[in-house]
Formats: sequence, C-alpha cells, structure tokens
Amino acid sequence: MNEIASVKKNKFKISSIIIYTFLAILVVFYVAPLLWMLFVSFKTNSEVFDSPFGLPKALQLDNYKVAWTAGKLGVATLNSVLVCIITLVISMIIGSMAAFAIGRMKWFLSEYTMVYFLMGMMIPIHCVLIPLFIKFSNYHLTNSLWGLILPYITFSLPLTIYIMAGFFKGMPQELFEAACIDGCSIYRIFFSIALPLAKTGMFVTGLMTFVSNWNELLLAMVFISDTNKKTLPVTLTYFVSPYSTNYVQMFAAIIIAILPTIVVYCLFSNQIVAGLTAGAVKG
Amino acid sequence: MKKKLLSVLLTTSMMVMLLSGCGSTATTDSQADASTDTAADSTTTDAATASTGTGDVQEISWMFWDDLNATEDLISQGYAQVIDRFNTQYEGVYHCTPITTNLEEYDTKLNALIAANDCPDVFICNPGPNLTQYVESGTAMDLTDLLNTKEADWYGTFTDGIFERMTYDGKIYAVPTNFAAALVFYNTEMFAAAGAKVPTTYDEWITACKKLQDAGYTPISCSAGTSWCLSMVAGYLCDREGGPDNLIGANAGTVDWTSPSFIAAGNKLVELSKFFQPTAAGDSNDQATAAFYNGEAAMLIQGSWVIGQINGNNPDFEDKCGVFSFPGIEGGADPNRMIVKTDNLVVSATTENLDACVALMKCFTDETAQKYTAEVGGKIPVINVAYDEAKAPKQLGYVMDILAKSTGTLGFYNESLASVEAGDVFDNAMVDIYLGNTSVEDGFQSVQDFYTENVWK
Amino acid sequence: MDKILRDKKAICFFIAPGIILFTLILLIPICQTFYYSFCDWDVLSSPEFVGFANFKKLFTKDKTMMIALKNSIFFMLFSAVSQQFFGLLLAVLLTNVKRGRNIFKNIYYLPCVLSSAALGLLWSFMFNQKMGFNQILDVFGISGPMWLMDTKGFIILPMWVISFVAMWQYTGQTMMLYMAQISGISESLYEASYIDGAGKFQSFKCITLPLIKPMVATTLSLNAIGSLKFFDLVYNMTAGGPNHRTDVLATHLYFEGFQYFKYGYASAIGIVLLVLCLTVTIIIKKGIKIDDYEM
Repeated sequence: MNEIASVKKNKFKISSIIIYTFLAILVVFYVAPLLWMLFVSFKTNSEVFDSPFGLPKALQLDNYKVAWTAGKLGVATLNSVLVCIITLVISMIIGSMAAFAIGRMKWFLSEYTMVYFLMGMMIPIHCVLIPLFIKFSNYHLTNSLWGLILPYITFSLPLTIYIMAGFFKGMPQELFEAACIDGCSIYRIFFSIALPLAKTGMFVTGLMTFVSNWNELLLAMVFISDTNKKTLPVTLTYFVSPYSTNYVQMFAAIIIAILPTIVVYCLFSNQIVAGLTAGAVKG
Repeated sequence: MKKKLLSVLLTTSMMVMLLSGCGSTATTDSQADASTDTAADSTTTDAATASTGTGDVQEISWMFWDDLNATEDLISQGYAQVIDRFNTQYEGVYHCTPITTNLEEYDTKLNALIAANDCPDVFICNPGPNLTQYVESGTAMDLTDLLNTKEADWYGTFTDGIFERMTYDGKIYAVPTNFAAALVFYNTEMFAAAGAKVPTTYDEWITACKKLQDAGYTPISCSAGTSWCLSMVAGYLCDREGGPDNLIGANAGTVDWTSPSFIAAGNKLVELSKFFQPTAAGDSNDQATAAFYNGEAAMLIQGSWVIGQINGNNPDFEDKCGVFSFPGIEGGADPNRMIVKTDNLVVSATTENLDACVALMKCFTDETAQKYTAEVGGKIPVINVAYDEAKAPKQLGYVMDILAKSTGTLGFYNESLASVEAGDVFDNAMVDIYLGNTSVEDGFQSVQDFYTENVWK
Repeated sequence: MDKILRDKKAICFFIAPGIILFTLILLIPICQTFYYSFCDWDVLSSPEFVGFANFKKLFTKDKTMMIALKNSIFFMLFSAVSQQFFGLLLAVLLTNVKRGRNIFKNIYYLPCVLSSAALGLLWSFMFNQKMGFNQILDVFGISGPMWLMDTKGFIILPMWVISFVAMWQYTGQTMMLYMAQISGISESLYEASYIDGAGKFQSFKCITLPLIKPMVATTLSLNAIGSLKFFDLVYNMTAGGPNHRTDVLATHLYFEGFQYFKYGYASAIGIVLLVLCLTVTIIIKKGIKIDDYEM
C-alpha cells in the first residue's frame, strides 16, 4: 500500500515538474516583449535604432514626465476609466437580463433575437462608423463622453449576451424548479439565483468588455474632438508625427496606460478562478 | 469584503465624476463646448471671454493631422504658436479651436465631419487627388475672388507659382503654408573619404555609388518598403526620363504607362536600388533616416522636411550634411525640375465666419510664422520673406540654392495621378519591381491596366 | 415552472432594454450599410444607386478581394485550431496547478489587455530585418528572412507571422473562458470518477470535455468571427503588406472606404464579411451538438 502511494507521489512530482517548466517557458515568451517595451521607454530615440535590445544607457525618466504632461495622460486616464466603468456596469446589467431571457426562458423568437444581437458583432465597425457618426452628430452627442458610452454599450452587448446565455443555459434545471415550488417569481429567480450562480461568467464577460473598450481607438478618435475629453488610446497616437515617430515617449505612455488595466484585470480575473478550490484536481 | 469596498469606491467615484464631468455635455451645442477649451493651456485667458459662446466672438475650428501639445515635429510646434498668436491677437473678436487627430485617422475623421455637415472651418490638406476630391464635391471654398480683390495685397506677398497646384480651371481653392522639396542629402565626410564626387548626372551618380561601396560604405539609405519613399525615387526617374509630358500624357490617356521612357525609368530604379542598404525592404522610414544621421549610409533621398529630424536627433551632423539635386539623365528631360509638396489650408464652403478664417490663414502666412518655418522648421517659406540665414539650418541654405536654379516643379507622383487609388497602384507597383516580384514591364503593365479600366474611360 | 418561463411580460422586461438600445443605435446604421453597398458613394456628395455593380466587381474584377478572402479564411482556420488547442491546454494545466495559478493566468492574459496599436509597433520591431529575432539568429550565424516582406508561397510568411502574434495575443482569452467553464464543473463528479478508478486523463476525456462543449461552441464562434473581422494587428504590422498581399477583409474594406473614398464599395465588402460570419456561426452551431448534462 505504501509502495503504491509513494510511486504515485513520484509520478505526480515528475509530471508537475514538466508542467511547471512548460508554463515557465511560456512565461518568458509572454513577458519578454513587454519587458523590452519597458526598456525602450527608458532610452532615447537614437538609442532605439542603435542598440534596440540592449539595456538603456541612462534611465531617461524624462520620457515619462513628458509623456504624462504633453499627452495629458491624467485627464485621458480619467476619461477612459469613466467611460469604461459606466459601459461595463450598464452593459452587464442589460446584457445579463437579455441573456437570461434568451438562454433560459421559453419563447419562439429567442434564437432570432440572438442572431439579431450577433449581427452587431459581425458587422465591421468601419462600415457603421460614418452613418453612426452622422446620427450622433444630429443629436449633438458627438464630442461628449456619452457619445462614446452609448456605442460602446451597444457594441459590448452582443458579446455579453452570447457568453452569458451560454452560462445561463448550462445551469441545472432543478435549482429553478425548487425555487419555483417555493413560490419565487421569475424576477426573484433571476436576481437571487441565476445571477449569483453566473458570477464567474459575469466576471469573464466583464473583463472582456472592459478590456476591449479600454483599448478602443477608432470611435474615440472620430467622435471626440475636445482635447479634455479624449481617452487613453487616442493620446497614444500623439507620439506619431506625420513624418516620424517618437518611440520612447510613446512606449512610456503605453507603460503608464497599462498599469491601471493590470490592476483592474488582476482583480477581476482572480474572481474567475475563485471557484476553483485549492488543490482540487479537475481532469 | 474587499470586493464590496472596491465596488462602493468605484460607484461613488463614478457618481462624482458623472455629476462633475458629464453635466454640460449631453445636450449643449458642441460648439459651445469647444469654446471652453483651447489647444495650449497657457492661453486660457481668452477662454473666459470666449466661453460666452454667443455674442461677438466668431468661433472657428481648424483641423490638423498632429497633436499640438505632444508633438516633437518642429513645423507642428510652429503651427501651435500660430494658433496661440491668433487667439491672443484677436481676443474677443475671433477664436480658433484646433481639432487634431493623428495622420492615419485624419481623412476618416474629416470625412465623417463633412458627411455630418459639421465640416471644420479651415483644414489642412495634401495637394493632388486628395484636394481634388474636396474641390469636386464642393466642400472647398473658391478663394479666387477673395484673393484677387479684397485680399490682393496678401495675395501679392506669395512667391510666384506657389498656387499652381491648387488652381483648378483658373480657380484657387487652397492656401499654402510652407513647402518642401525632395532632394538627395549626403554625408560630405564619407564622400571625401571614398573619393566620390557630387553627381550631376545619373551615370555620375552610379559611379559615385560604386566608389562609396568599394570604400566600404553603404551608398544609399532608403525605406524601400514604404511605398511613398520608393515612389519619390521612381517619380523623379520617370520625370527625368520623359519630363512633364509623361505625367500629363498618362493622366490624359495619350501616353501609355508601358512606353519606353517609363520602362527606362523602371530599369534605372532597379539599378539604383542595388546600392540601397541590405535591409532596405524591411526598414521603416524612421530607421532609414536614422541610418543616415547615425553615419551608417552616405546618402538619403528625402524631402527637406527631414532636416529638422536630422539636426534634432544628431546636432553634430549638420556640419557634414550636404545636399544635391536629384541628378538628371543624359538624353532625358529637364534635370532642373523639383518634386515639391506644400501644406495647404482649405476653407470650408459652408463656413459662417469667413473673416475669421481669412485672418487665421493670414496668421499662418505672415512674416513671423514664415520666418519660423525657415529658421527653425527647416522648410521653405511661401512668401517673399527675408529670414535670418544664420539661424536657419545649413541644409536649408543649400536647398534654397538648388531651388533658385530650378525650372519647374512637380508633385509626388502618387499625389499627381488621377486618384488616391491610382497613386497607390503606382507606389505598390514600384515596390513590387524593387522587391523583384515582377519585372519592370509587368509592373508598369499593372499600372496601365488600372488606368485602362478605371481612368481612361 | 414552464408557465413562469413563458411569462410574456417577464420576457419583455428582460429583453426590452437591450433590444431598444440596440435598435436605436445600431439598426439604422446597419440598414444604411446594406443600402450603401448598392450605391456609389464618396462620403462627400450624395450616394448614387448602382444595383449589384459593387458585388459583381468584388467577385470578378477585384484581385485584392480574392487575396483578402484567402488570407482571412487562412487566418480564421489557424486561429481556431491554435487557440482552441492552446487555450484548452493552458486552462486544464492551470486548473491542476496549485501554486502560482493566479500569476500564470494573469501573465498569459496580459497581451489581451494591451492595445493592438502598441503590440503592432512592438512586433514590427521584433520582426524587423535588422533588429529583433534576426539579431538573435545572427548570433547563431543564420541570416533571418524578411519576416514581414517575404512574398513567396501561397500563404506568405508575413501572414504566418501575423497569425502567430494574434495567437500570442488572444490565447489568454480563450484560456480564461475555459477556466470559467471548468470552474463550474462540480467537484463530486471528479471524486466519483476517482473512486471508480479513472485516471486523470480518462476523467478529462469523459467528464471535462463533454461538459465544456457549450464553451467550445462559444469560443470557436468568437474566434472565427473575431479572426474574420481582424483589423488592428494586420494594419499596424504590415498595413496590408507588400502590395496588398497580407490584406484581410477588414483592411481591404478600410483602404477602399477610407483611403480611396469608395464607401459604397467598402459597404459591399462589409456585407460579404457579415454573411461569411453568419455562415461560419451557423456551421459551428450545427456541428457541435450540445446535450443537456447535469453539471
């Protein structure tokens, strides 16, 4: 009995060494390019072409200072945060409600409604850009943050609904039946049972929505002209002049822009795996 | 617990920002919003007067393809100063709000604004088919009467012939703010070390390249993968072979793209490109320029806008940087024509504040701005102004000398063809020829095919 | 139960905000796109109706369209296969790993979070002829190829390069979705299987795989649609490549519409893209049959 146990333990150790090595090598592939960007942000522009992969000769902290002030990154970050959080909250609420109706409730138009929403995801954004802009311009919504938030929510809805509908569909019927027997209304079932169960799904979708809107450039560039209302991705383009590119300050700005995102997404993504108990083996 | 605290924090900060930031945006006129912001933070004094929105202040918007605060481009910084001066000088009367994007999204945003009937009052535009589009659709305002009557004095300050590329059927549709010429910059030290002499003909140029190569230097640095860079060289070769008739004939349909002078130009392109740096196909424009001012290559074929970039990145280089005009081809056409490109201001035909627009354009072309263009920006002024040559970069002096001898100008080939798409087809064909993907004949045949199908109808 | 699930008022309550917002904002622009695809429009003047001319030209005379279709379909297949495989692999590995799970997961998801413009710039440096990988290869005496300018072959090298970078960027997303799904599988199922003597791999095959089938359909559809629509990385790395050779449908659309001012033609390309996405989604849905399992 002990022999079998110890053999099993050894086997387990070897396989976990292999797994960890593989994961560690992957980490190098993922982190190395980003580390390089960090190094470049501390160089001067001519150094970038002279010794692109070496360490910076001297830490050019000025790059960060100039990127922050000239690019007005403070205001831009605030705008980005505001737009993305509002979009996130509203699209999650509207999206989960619609997803529940499509995924769980029984009505003959549910499939077609899903396709209707999916069309929003399948149409390339460049196609709808100009008609959308004309419409918003007529309602004086351009050059305002709401003019960004509304399209962002609309574009995030298809993805949210599609993924959440999948999560709602996968829920066990018995839970709902039990609640129904207890006399819960459908609204109560949704808010008190379905939503909490779909927490993981909500975090995943929320993360994807936040991230895609955070990096969205085209709408932000075309809809907003006011320098005080511009979002972060737009400010990154400031460092590209018509005839040359200011790489070092641009990378400094990129590093500054990534930091809040990393904080947010670490928070979110840790919630996603909270459901996995430590040490559990799942296949 | 942590999660709850975070969500409470987020919600409260959200509400605070919502109430403070979004309050004025939803329903008020976009123009009134624009009036509370200015491009440069320093001139916020006129924000107080301008924020009244209505009343006597004429509000205009100017659209540009570079951010005015963060840019390192000297000309863009000059423009930022012009806007400041304008707003200070006309405080209480006119006010200009810049709308900026980056170069890539510029056309997208401009066209979206025009489609939404919100065209900026003044905007910057490339010459050639780009400008033609705005002229033909009626977006650009006809300035001929204005320039000939009311503003005749202002019109008289411009150098001769500068309006040539903005005139359609005798009508002027844009005002230039500066111009640049394309020529060959060279490293005088390398030339001296290799015993090469500055060429005046194509054959002399090949000889010089060979000498440089034998001495161990890379003769020419070019970003051959960037289509407009290669097209600059190809365009010059086409013009040196066949002269202005080539372009005029090609656009009119009387000259085939497969005619001998074009083919000869293509062959010379292939021959010349053998002296490019080995990584020419993959180098970006920034890289190729850096290779030149870092002393890795002897020559750079570029527009004179690069002077600011060279001197800015390597101040020591100014003393060893010479300039020569693109050599002529013996047996070919006039060797003294220059490829030039102007920055142009276009006035929207639907503007309500023409006086303000004119005042703004005058600011761009007044002596202060134009002196800056030459002395700091290293580009060529459009008015007859005496600038301080000691302050200006040395290379500019050489450029001006060459210009004084020029007999005519032409635009970049990709900005002189029938449409933007035609320009792209030409550029791409040149890149393919350089890469060796097609023969010279086939490359020009593809341009010919495009024209047969889409232009000569 | 059934009656509650059919409650019309409740359905309207749940679906109304989404439908209203979506209709108000996107319906008319989408309809307008349909209309413009039958017109000649240069944005600056009025559209001119030309019937099916755009579509005819698209499929008979437009060489770039054929290249774009080829590249887009290649890209879709490559992404689907690679991201499904690696995403699932990573998800399974990470759910089995005790220590460092969060750190690994966060690192693998990191590229998704970065803007494609930044990444395009980053990777064009890496794949530059002089710098980047070629420098490393130089150390070993190998002269690296022109990663982003090579034009040989049916699917040219730059297209493979871009596909690899896209895989690097988006595998984390698929991994995250699979992890979310796996986390929902109840413990007891696994415990029961171990008691019955099943090995790790067997329990993966018989429990995990079938139960994540819904997510396979979802991620596959998302991968397919996302890769057909892909724009940012291609535009920032090669801008359509040497003479349109790495053009995909979205970049072809962009150039036609926003650089050549042929907006009607671009709308036609958009409609083709839409139809392609719809077709692929339907095929995937029909292909993966999902049974109702007890989780």
